[in-house]
Amino acid sequence: MAQAYQHDPADAALRQAVSRRHFLASGAHLLGAASLASLSGAGFASKALASAALPPSLTHHAPKAKNVIYLHMVGGPSQIDLYDYKPGMAEWFDKDLPESIRNGQRLTTMTSGQSRFPIAPSKYKFEQCGQSGMWVSELMPWMKKCVDDVAFVRSMHTDAINHEPAITLMQSGNQIPGRPCLGSWASYGLGSLNEDLPTFVVMVARSSNREQIQAISARLWSSGFLPGKHAGVSFRSAGDPILYINDPPGVSRGTRREMLDAVQALNASTWNQLGDPQTQTRVQQYELAYRMQASVPELTDLTSESASTYELYGEAAREPGTFANTALMARRMVERGVRFVQIYHNNWDTHSNVSGRLPDQCGDVDQSCYALIQDLKQRGLLDETLVIWGGEFGRTIYSQGGLSAENYGRDHHPRCFTMWMAGGGVKAGAIHGETDEFSYNITKDPVHVRDLHATVLNLLGFDHERFVYKRQGLDQKLTGVIPARIVPELIG
Amino acid sequence: MAGLRRLVRLSVVAALAFGGTIAAHAAEPLRFNRDIRPILFDACVSCHGPDSASRQADLRLDQRDGAVERGAIVPGDADSSEMIRRILSEDESERMPPPEAKKTLTIEQIETLKRWVAEGAAYEPHWSFIPPARPTPPQVANSWWPRNEIDHFIAARLEKEKLTPAPEADRRALARRVSLDLTGLPPTAEQVQAFLDDPRAEAYERLVDQLLESPGWGEHRARTWLDVARYGDTHGIHFDNYREMWKYRDWVIDAFNRNLPYDRFTLLNLAGDLVPGATLDERTASGFNRCNITTNEGGAIDEEYAVLYTRDRTETTALAWMGLTVGCAVCHDHKFDPVSQREFYELAAFFNNTTQRPMDGNVKDTPPMIVVPSEEDRARWETLPAQIAKADSAISTTRDAARPHFEGWLAKANPSDAAAFTPSQPGDFVAPLDQPPAAEEQAPTTAVAVLGQSRSLALSPTTKWADGPYGIGQAAVIGATGALELLDAGAFERDQPFYVSAWIKLPAAGASGSIVARMNEGDKHRGWDVWVEGKRIGAHLIHAWPDNAVKVLTKAEAPTDKWLHLIVTYDGTSKSSGYQVWIDGKPAPLDAKNDALSETTLTEVPLKIGQRNGGGGATGVAVTDLRVSGGVLEEADIHRLAGAPLAASLRRNPADRTPAEVDALFEWWLTEFDNPHREAVTHLAALRAELEAIKSRSPITLVMQERETPATAFVLNRGEYDQRLDEVKPDVPAVLPPFDDDAPRNRLGFAQWLLRDDHPLTARVTVNRFWQEVFGTGLVSTAGDFGVSGQLPSHPELLDWLAVEFRESGWDVKRMYRLMVTSATYRQSATATAEKVSRDPDNRWLSRGPRRRMDAEMVRDHALATSGLLVKRVGGPSVRPYQPPGVWEAVAMPESDTRSYQQDEGEALYRRSLYTFWKRAAPPASMDVFNAPSRETCTVTRECTNTPLQALVTLNDPQFIEAARVLAQRALHEGGADDNAKLQWIAERVLARPLLEDEAIAVHKSLGPLLEHYGADVAAAKQLLAVGEAPVDESLPADKLAAWTLIASAIGNSDEALNK
Repeated sequence: MAQAYQHDPADAALRQAVSRRHFLASGAHLLGAASLASLSGAGFASKALASAALPPSLTHHAPKAKNVIYLHMVGGPSQIDLYDYKPGMAEWFDKDLPESIRNGQRLTTMTSGQSRFPIAPSKYKFEQCGQSGMWVSELMPWMKKCVDDVAFVRSMHTDAINHEPAITLMQSGNQIPGRPCLGSWASYGLGSLNEDLPTFVVMVARSSNREQIQAISARLWSSGFLPGKHAGVSFRSAGDPILYINDPPGVSRGTRREMLDAVQALNASTWNQLGDPQTQTRVQQYELAYRMQASVPELTDLTSESASTYELYGEAAREPGTFANTALMARRMVERGVRFVQIYHNNWDTHSNVSGRLPDQCGDVDQSCYALIQDLKQRGLLDETLVIWGGEFGRTIYSQGGLSAENYGRDHHPRCFTMWMAGGGVKAGAIHGETDEFSYNITKDPVHVRDLHATVLNLLGFDHERFVYKRQGLDQKLTGVIPARIVPELIG
Repeated sequence: MAGLRRLVRLSVVAALAFGGTIAAHAAEPLRFNRDIRPILFDACVSCHGPDSASRQADLRLDQRDGAVERGAIVPGDADSSEMIRRILSEDESERMPPPEAKKTLTIEQIETLKRWVAEGAAYEPHWSFIPPARPTPPQVANSWWPRNEIDHFIAARLEKEKLTPAPEADRRALARRVSLDLTGLPPTAEQVQAFLDDPRAEAYERLVDQLLESPGWGEHRARTWLDVARYGDTHGIHFDNYREMWKYRDWVIDAFNRNLPYDRFTLLNLAGDLVPGATLDERTASGFNRCNITTNEGGAIDEEYAVLYTRDRTETTALAWMGLTVGCAVCHDHKFDPVSQREFYELAAFFNNTTQRPMDGNVKDTPPMIVVPSEEDRARWETLPAQIAKADSAISTTRDAARPHFEGWLAKANPSDAAAFTPSQPGDFVAPLDQPPAAEEQAPTTAVAVLGQSRSLALSPTTKWADGPYGIGQAAVIGATGALELLDAGAFERDQPFYVSAWIKLPAAGASGSIVARMNEGDKHRGWDVWVEGKRIGAHLIHAWPDNAVKVLTKAEAPTDKWLHLIVTYDGTSKSSGYQVWIDGKPAPLDAKNDALSETTLTEVPLKIGQRNGGGGATGVAVTDLRVSGGVLEEADIHRLAGAPLAASLRRNPADRTPAEVDALFEWWLTEFDNPHREAVTHLAALRAELEAIKSRSPITLVMQERETPATAFVLNRGEYDQRLDEVKPDVPAVLPPFDDDAPRNRLGFAQWLLRDDHPLTARVTVNRFWQEVFGTGLVSTAGDFGVSGQLPSHPELLDWLAVEFRESGWDVKRMYRLMVTSATYRQSATATAEKVSRDPDNRWLSRGPRRRMDAEMVRDHALATSGLLVKRVGGPSVRPYQPPGVWEAVAMPESDTRSYQQDEGEALYRRSLYTFWKRAAPPASMDVFNAPSRETCTVTRECTNTPLQALVTLNDPQFIEAARVLAQRALHEGGADDNAKLQWIAERVLARPLLEDEAIAVHKSLGPLLEHYGADVAAAKQLLAVGEAPVDESLPADKLAAWTLIASAIGNSDEALNK
């Protein structure tokens, strides 16, 4: 339940901006039609206007990252086949996972009934790369080239063993739905850099292989108990990029303005009669909408992108809805002041047929991840943009279902998995954490989801213990009640 | 807590400070609830409070006795009080709150605490735990102003604050406001006119009564209750499949419309299944506790979700009836409210005794559920079960009578009778699988026939053997690995008819995998199979899974641990409708899961029994007499194919027949030769079919059903489902009235307890929500938190007066709303003066009438109603109006039955918004933007923000454009001769008033350029008019209608139109 009485810094800023503009406009009218029209320039131009009205940052210390691009691989990528190199497993092919390793840990009901837990070594070749010496699978040839830009965490772990609770925990710090997600917290704490675009955008990329799509739900980008405007705005690849952003057929910009002038004339009269400040908000709301209608087409129009962009991201970036396209869009959004871009890429849930699917999955994202990092770097944006890559859990070393040297399946594994981060103050070239020879248990430097959240908030300028929202008498935090730990080794 | 109970006789009002101001006035004595509690509870009580786990130094500051005993507080002597000393301490290791708590007290707060200790450190019990007593409405100076008791309380406060009430709103504004508040719909122009023309003193009250009697009343009230009940049309988690629950929604509408007293309403929501002689409707009401979100995610652990559902029900009930956030006590004792962790689980025990299984099965009718036939069907529905039982016993009678005749026939039967069981074609591929290999065989094999040629195939070593159908012969049980395979059978292209026949027996737990397949998992599952999914049987025919494939699955689960004869036929049409499945000779209804096949299904991999190529198999399924054949199966063969075991029996020496075989032959003989038996069977089948027919045309709804064993729950360490501590019995928190010893310890007893006269919360929490709906904010602004950390009531006496009035009126809901909307307080104009805005920006003192942006559903319903498009039919299945493409598809799993949004047509586009299909993973897009909740958890207060995205909805959503166009069409026909008359005609419908002259001029100023624009570009005008499915009036010039459409849209987008 939202608490209307709670101070919301971003709201305060808007109110302040509104009342100042109202004051300047003074007189009987709120804003004359002429001055309204002058506010209606295209997206980039109005950025300055909007940012002039922004409050000083509410951060606790100087932020290293201003923006976040979070690439969530829905379903749980296999760390064993991508980043957690276990050469010793070759000798263990089809042998049982030692009981001492599993140690009675719970399994999903998909494999808890299996009579054996035969080990499936990764069939993919690994190579040691870059200055950092990170081992990377042949499935990620592009990422091999930029390991020194990236900090790898091989010792991520989580509490949940199935998708829904795990992805909810990863996004919101709690397995039970209803709490704000990371993007909403960022929106709440940092506010907008460009009022003409949403602060927190969500894109769902289409995977080329669709064998094992997992559910994602609008609750993943909900603002929970934070005010609703901090919810992620879904940016779509087909139809209107933002729901209802386009005027109906037969309504031009000029026609819309004409019609809006009538709306605002009525509102001015209502204000004169009733004096309700809500009416002022309404005026502002419609003008912002009008400006957003201009900003969004400018954002989504890729014609200004050069040939070298498509060389970098690949030709798939031209096709709306591909991961490459959303990655390119993310860069354009960050350039224009979108604070937090969340991208979901589905189908990483490889219970079976790893060899039939993982190459497709990696093919979808590998080059784009590399391209995004390089593109941001070239534009001087990487320093202030944090890029996060990872799923909601890892996969088991033992095979689910049939096992052969050529193919196998892997069940969910919450006890260790790999994520990486780049830019935004992250220590480039870091390799953090180790797992045992089975990639089953963490042997060094565990990083819980809440530790990752604490670290991300730190990069954004927040002390996770003091970055709170009061609700039901309690200071609610992204990192919850169990102590979380910032990981200094990941901070550059 | 016993101490608190003793205090119940105290007048709560005496114990209460007025809310609103925080800072203490130097002149008046400090009050604990107003001045001290907020400081203590923010800075101290999370470590020195009710939560025993996090309590430091064994000190509680939320209770006076403990604090005094430990010397933390020395009443009257601040300097000797340890608490004050530690707060002031310079020593970081001593100072309170400790630096790591990151809480600092202001100098002002410290001074307040010191003064309070010096004044004697008086505590007050928390106001909301003391039962309300009816206060006398205060006398006020403006004695002419009050119309009813409410106004006395409001006026007293206004006089104290030296604010004057606003004058009464004009009749038009009042008609619009009250109509929207009571029915969620604007008044019709005729209603407004009738009210204006009514000269009687009671004209307004008459309008109110008329609105209270309209069906819209129940719909509007139900809409907010459905937020509380977290009602939705899908399960919510993972597949997020359809859940059939709308009968509960309709029950709620009906309950409000017939003004069901709220105590009965409460009882039926919480325990409609447990009331004596529960009717179908009463059981339907118990669906309140079935509205929570559920899962069927593969791999999910039952107990984990059973615990979550119980928690959700407990939290929802506490929030809805008691305004308590008991969820905090899931993991530890509540930080502020006197609810211990143990008490949470005692409360949870009431909701922990359902027969419902944790996995919802991804079906719409997860048990326990009931069929709710229409009124016409009810009588037959209720008498049929007895008739069926009678017909069933008649069959036993005919059976007994026939047995001697059968024995006579069998004595004379000979092997030639077995011909009755021989199919006309043997089938291309026949695997009898009725004989285990000899024990000494090194590499076991089994004999099969391919096109009549006998072959020997290797058997998997994991194959087991079991008794065959009727106990005749043996059957192979599919093992974990390996499979029988051969290359030259079952290579079917998608345009080729084929069929599969077999006797099968599913294991008790069901299974998952192929019985027989020619399918390559490594190549996007190309090929075909006959497949078991849990206890359902189906088939795949695939080019590339899942986008170019057909999949069918039986709607019903098949019996397990029982031999079934299965036939699957396919007709070569590449469609799911080309599949038919017979189980024991009867057609089984199918669901089409995938239905898009357009390319080849041929694959190089071999035919395999019990497995696909590269995948797991239907482990544990027993199979015998498996036949796979191209071609069309003749109808006569459906029965003959099932008869192989009987044929074998007839060929056998009579002396070797087992009793089970003889019984099986008897069953067959009865159906073939015994007329009385056949008639009895036909009669029973007809009755069952009638029952099925009623069932299939009737909605079902999910209900509660109690287990027969007494309810219990476990205290869970940190709320973890697998960390059980003590087992507890159902009980209520000690701070509240005790549970009646004579009442049943179940949901029914619990509901009765909520309704006790001395329950301090139920009535208060409910009237506060009513107030919130009418005035925008509750008297307690935190409608979901009446606990210690919630806000104090703005008018505590009024809240108590309303609570007692509500209870003593017999929980009469309409009466309470009538009281509120007929008060002078409500009837004030919404005009705000600068002084009122600055001194009371949120209008908590109500020195002006309520004004607030309409809720999501109202915004849409308003547009439909003013245009005349609204279809006012009450109830029925949920509908799918306009929604932009891709909203569901973006989030749904391919297997979900709510993956693609299929927009409805006709009337369904124009129903009230509470009938819009609510998919919880992607709530209705336009309502979501307007702060509609996701309906995943209980919501008692909706947010009301204003974002640019909302403006885009009312400007651009086809629903709103279409409504504006239809309104414009009507205005052009009915609105009068000139532009001004038309403009006023629209305004009277949208704003319930004509425009002021200035307004009319301003709007008209936009009309000219619009007419000019569309006059010059008629094509654009036609494009605009084509939006929406309502027919365009071709008799009107397109340019004119387009211009007027935008004018109607402009008026509909004005602040006044969007507010109530």
